[in-house]
Formats: sequence, C-alpha cells, structure tokens
Amino acid sequence: MTEIYDVTLRDGNHALRHQLKSEFVTEYCKVADNSGVWAVEVGHGNGLGASSYLVGKSFESDFNLLTAARSALTKSKLAVHTIPGFATIKRDLIPAIECGVDVFRVATHVTEASTAEKHIEFLANKGVIVHGVLMMSHMNTIKGLISQAELMQRYGASGIILMDSSGHFVPKDVQERVDALKNALPVEVGFHAHNNLGVAVSNALEAQLAGASIIDGASMGLGAGAGNAQLENIIAVSNREDVALDVGNLDTFLEMSLLVENSYSSNLPRTSSSSTQSGMAGVFSGYAPQVKLLAEELGIEVGLLWGEMAKRKLVAGQESMIREIAQDLMNL
Amino acid sequence: MNKIRVAIIGTGNIGTDLCARMLNDSKFDVVAFVGRRPDSPGLEMFRGKVPYLLSNGIEDLVLIADEFDGFFDATSAFDHRLHWTELETLGKWAIDLTPSQVGAPMVPELIGTMPEFSLNKNQAANYSMVTCGGQSSAPLIYAMSTHSKGITEVEISSSIASKSAGPATRKNIDQYVQSTENLVSLISGCDSVKAILVLNPAEPPVMMRTTVQMKVDSCDLEATRNEVQQVSARIQKYVPGYNLVVEPHFSIPNVVTGTVKVTGAGYVLPEYAGNLDIINAAAVETARRHSEKFAKFESSKK
Repeated sequence: MTEIYDVTLRDGNHALRHQLKSEFVTEYCKVADNSGVWAVEVGHGNGLGASSYLVGKSFESDFNLLTAARSALTKSKLAVHTIPGFATIKRDLIPAIECGVDVFRVATHVTEASTAEKHIEFLANKGVIVHGVLMMSHMNTIKGLISQAELMQRYGASGIILMDSSGHFVPKDVQERVDALKNALPVEVGFHAHNNLGVAVSNALEAQLAGASIIDGASMGLGAGAGNAQLENIIAVSNREDVALDVGNLDTFLEMSLLVENSYSSNLPRTSSSSTQSGMAGVFSGYAPQVKLLAEELGIEVGLLWGEMAKRKLVAGQESMIREIAQDLMNL
Repeated sequence: MNKIRVAIIGTGNIGTDLCARMLNDSKFDVVAFVGRRPDSPGLEMFRGKVPYLLSNGIEDLVLIADEFDGFFDATSAFDHRLHWTELETLGKWAIDLTPSQVGAPMVPELIGTMPEFSLNKNQAANYSMVTCGGQSSAPLIYAMSTHSKGITEVEISSSIASKSAGPATRKNIDQYVQSTENLVSLISGCDSVKAILVLNPAEPPVMMRTTVQMKVDSCDLEATRNEVQQVSARIQKYVPGYNLVVEPHFSIPNVVTGTVKVTGAGYVLPEYAGNLDIINAAAVETARRHSEKFAKFESSKK
C-alpha cells in the first residue's frame, strides 16, 4: 500500500517565501482531510525552528501554523519536517509534540545522519511516528546512502525518505536507490521529488513501482525551485498505470490543487532555464530566490552562479555563502 | 614569569591539538596529558614529550596536583561537569572547551572591552570557551552592537566541514546551539537570538564560515567596519586564519550582515578545522591572560 504525503504547506512555503498564513492552512487542511492523504506536512520551508534571516523569516510562528492544521485534520496525520542544527528538542520538538503533531521527519544532509541521533531517539521514545530524511540524496553513493539510512533506523526511525532536493534524478536513479534501500533495510521507504528537470511525477511513479510506500507530492507542485511532484498528477497517473493507491478519488485532489492555484497564482513554481541549470548542477532548489536576486544585483549570469555553487558543493542552509561566491566570481 | 604549568584532559582531536600547540609555546609547560585508555593514540603521540601521560582519567591527575597551575578540559559537557566537581577544590583554573556552561563564557579579545568578559581572580576560575560559532562571531557581534541602535534580533549561522565535527558535537548539537545563543545574547544584550549550525561534507573540506545577521533600527556601517577590522587584527595575533570575507552591509533593510572565515593554523588539526583552531587558540590565550594577570599573586603564594 502506498501512502501519499502532502508537502504543499511545508515545501510549498519555499515558493511562498515562507509567508504561508494560518487561515489558508485551515482551509486547505479541511479539504485535504477528505482526500485520503496519509499526512499533511506543515511549516517553514526548512522545517521547525528554521524561521531566520539566513533562510527566510516565517510570516507566522510554527505554533500558529500547527495549531491551525491540527484543528482541521481528523483523518489525515499532521506532520513536520525538522533539521538538527536549526531545530532543538527543547525549543522546537517538545512544543510541536504538545501541538499534537503525529509524524516527525528528522532530516539531515545525506552524509550527516549522525547529527540526528538525539532527535530521533527522543521522538521515538515519545511514541510519535519518526521518519528519517536524507536530503540532497544525489550527493552520496548508493552504498553511502544505505549506511546513513541504517544509522537513522538504528536511532529509531521507522521509515527513511530520500529527497531529491535538487531535482537532479531521472527515473533510473530513483529506481536504483529505492530498490537498494528496500533490499538492505526492513523499513518503510519514501521518495520526495523536485521538478527541475520536468520528471518529478515520473520519478514519484518510478519510486512506487520500485517499492517505496510513502510518496511525497504538493498540490500544483507548490515547492522550492521548480516545485515538487504535482500531487494531483501523481494520483491521476497512478490510476492510469494501475498502481494501487489507497487514497480517495482524484476529485478531492483537484479541489486542493484549485485552492492553491487560485490563492497563490503568482507563486506557482515552474521549470525555467534557471531551475534546469540548478537541477543539472545538483544544487539545492531552495536557493533559487537568492540566486535570482544576487545575479540581478551584481549582474552575474545565473547559470555561472549555479555552476560555481555546485563546484563548491553547497548543502542546504548555506544561503550566506551565495554572496561570497558571487563576489569571488566578479573578482575573477 | 615562570612557565605556565598545565594539564590537558581529553586525548581526542581538540586535546591533541592543544597539547601540540602548547608544547610549541615557550610560555607553557605541558605537565600532564590525561586520557581514559592506555592504548589511546592521542597519548602515544606525545610519549617522551609530556612527563605524565595518564590513562586512568582524572583519578591520577589529583595525585600530582602540586605540579600544575591549571587544566584544559577537552572531553564532553557531561564529563566536564563530573571533572569540575572533583577538581574545583584543588584551587586550579580551568579552561572548559566543552559546551557544558559550567563556568562563565570567555572571549579573550573582549577582555577589557566588555565587563562581561573579565578575568576571574578566584583561583578556581572556570572559563567556558563556549563554541566555535560563539568565538568566531563574537567580534562581529561586538562591533555591530556597538555601532547600532535598537537591536531586536541577532542570528548567527556557521557552516563547518563535516570532517571537523566529531561524535560529541554531532550528538550534542542542541547544546552547541543553546550555549552559542547564550553567548550571542550576552554580547549583544538582545534576548531574541538564534544560532544555526550546518555541516558540509564537501571534498576538499570547506573552511569554516560564520555569518552574523542583526536586526536594528539603525547602524553606522562605516564605524562597524572599522571596529571589526580592529578586533579582527587583535584576534589574528593568535588566530592567524581569521578573516572578514563579507563586510558588514545591509542584506535586507534594517538587517546588518557580515561573514568571517576561519582557516586553521594546522598544528595537529588540518587547515579546514578552523572551528577547532579558533576555540583552542582562544583557550590558550585565556590561560595566558589569566596567568599573566595573577602571576604575581601565584608566585608570592609559592
């Protein structure tokens, strides 16, 4: 059985420059609750406690967003994304548990799982559902990926989510990785696509076929960079391909999609020359707004900046490096 | 002044670098290096160079209490609390390189600049070196706060090479965040503070960078830049790899932003471990300042 995981109100918050409002959260969750999605993830684009000048300030607090979602979700679970180094147990995880969050996704860069030990252990002991997330998963070998996933499992994660944070993968990459993880570990495997190369939905479908049981998507693809796999399309394509999805009918997903389309028409992500360049370079999609601004301010070609960022192997959360890199390019 | 006689507890990366650093420094006499295992490679590295290589923890250190003036603790926050309980009564100064927050935070280049950073004349002084993010951001925060009005938020974010983050840092990332935030608050006088740590596994390893962002009503940028240059010049005397790479500027309206890069001096630790270098350099500098200030008192006591 495949579970659908809706990241519209979290990854989508990147596309909204983290300006998501709790009224919209309530409105969206009321519809989503009838769609059959397993969980709805809510919060700042970089997760709990991430509102900052570095990655962007939230319009509303985590508490407001989570409380709004909690009151509207009765059937689907309430989920959060959280990154050790941004969030702490005391300041962020405990209050989120108190808000009634059901599912915690503890995320690290694909080589840094050991920074999640305390957080995963803590949550697992609290009886909530804990999944480990390996972000920027293209930046490790398959063997490395498995050993990092194994660490998260050992700490107490019952599922491992692979994120293609740069939208760099093609379906074959996804198939190999999901397959390898399924064979190596007795955990649920999930996949989170980005659409930089225009193959997010195909990648999501490929993950299902390879045995992933948690598939991420966002209504209208609302997400960082070129956006996520478009949720309503995942449902539609899965129906056509006879992939058994235990979710409600397409109509409810279309309603969620329309809600996003009508409310945030000027924020909808799309593949562009810039997002294609970042996808090819394998750089974190969430950097798109800063790259655009700095390229304009300093008069640098966007592709050149993405290329240099790739060369320096930036991981997520290094927004402050972009200006330094741009300055260096100008001094060449 | 007599040589400063020291003991170092903890034979990991930090401890071995400290040991090599002070063996190289004519002001110091490394009397004891303390580990917990007889086969510790850290202890082995200094065989023949340090008189007491102790492999039984602090138990044996207590027995040679007369032979050292103070000690450096490079173990873990948990262990430092235990060590301090045992050693406080010996009346030695302690430099704590863990994020335990047992002692008062110390940023040596701000001694004499801010009353919060004063040498403690108590013989059993305990100085906390806080964190690498704290040490590296302190000059920027100090300069920005001095020349700004109406500070409402302060944020610091550090990115460090994955290879330079040992198991203790990884396990205790929350302690890192909390103790860094406490220091930021102390220097800026602002309660709304945030610290972020990002690990980057790139090869070759990245150099440490710390960015400070401060929400203010107004800031005299030119005065801030001059101030940062001055403080940086002072730090460079003991952390040669400390460099301002992005000058304080308004990244968005009312948010002053600046970035420093720290390249390690490369004693035992590689150059990319600027985060460990700056904390060790600050530790040694604090020990020197403390000992010089109270040398007279100590020698008259003897």
